[in-house]
Amino acid sequence: MSTASPDVEQQEETDVVVDAARPWVTIVWNDPVNLMSYVSYVFQSYFGYDERKANQLMMQVHHEGRSAVSSGSREKMEIDVQAMHSFGLWATMQQDDQ
Amino acid sequence: MKGFARRRGVYVATLDRTERTILSRVVADTALLLGVRLDVERPEGDADPLAAHAWSAEGLEEPSDPALARLLPSASEDDGVAAEFRRLTEGDLRAQKVERLRMVWGALLAPGEKIEVQPERAMDWAAALTDVRLVLAERLDIQTDEDAEAVYKAANRRRAEDDDVRAALGSLYMVLTWLQESLMSVMLKSL
Repeated sequence: MSTASPDVEQQEETDVVVDAARPWVTIVWNDPVNLMSYVSYVFQSYFGYDERKANQLMMQVHHEGRSAVSSGSREKMEIDVQAMHSFGLWATMQQDDQ
Repeated sequence: MKGFARRRGVYVATLDRTERTILSRVVADTALLLGVRLDVERPEGDADPLAAHAWSAEGLEEPSDPALARLLPSASEDDGVAAEFRRLTEGDLRAQKVERLRMVWGALLAPGEKIEVQPERAMDWAAALTDVRLVLAERLDIQTDEDAEAVYKAANRRRAEDDDVRAALGSLYMVLTWLQESLMSVMLKSL
C-alpha cells in the first residue's frame, strides 16, 4: 500500500523466549500490492471492526509499515495469520513485547 | 472492459473474449505456481497434485520462488514457529487459493461477456485477484509504491523500445488492479 516494504531486519531477536503469560499478536505488514480498500474490507469483514477502526489500522500499516491487528492465545493468532495469508495479506505472529 | 457494478443484488463486470482469454491464462499460471494445472481434468483415481503439500510430519520450508513465497509467506521471524505453522497450514492454504482461482478461471472461460459475481462469492473473487496481482507484482519486481507507479506509467505510454514481456505484464497488472478496485468499491458499499 505504501512506499516502504516491511523491514524485517529490525524485528530480529525480539522475542523468541516463550512466556505463557504474554499474549501473542498478529502483525500485518505493508506491501505495495494490496489495495487500501481491500485491506480495510478484510479488517472489517474478518475481524468485525467498524469502518473507523479498520481504516485506522489500515492507515497504520500504510504509514508505519506494520500494525498489530489482533491479540490473544497462540492458537487464536495462528488462525488469524492463516486467514490473513489466505486473503493475500502479509502477516506474522509474535509474542507481545509488553 | 467495464468494471464491477451492482445490478439487482449481483456484482457485474463486462470483459470481451480477448480480455477473458488473457486473464484466464494468468489465473491458470497462478494456480500452476501453487501446484495445480487448471486446464487439464485430473483422471479419476489419479493422485491429488496437492496431496504432497498436505499436512505432513516433515518440516516444509519457505518456497524458493519469491512469488510463491509471497502467496505462502512465513508466519514468524522465529524459524521454529514459522516451520510449525507451515506444516499445519500450507496444504490448506494452497488448496483454498487454487479453488478460488479455479472459480475465477471457470467464470472467465464461460460464454458471454458478462461476469456475474454473487455477493457471497465476492470475497473469494477479491482474494483470487489479489493472489494473481501478488505474483505479477513479484515478476515485475514491484517493491515499493514508486515501482507500481512506474509500471502504470510505462503501461500507459508504451514505446517501441520497451521490453514487450514486461510491458504486457505491466498492462495486465494495471487492468487487474483496476478491476479489483471496482469490485472493492461495490463490496464496501454493501458491507
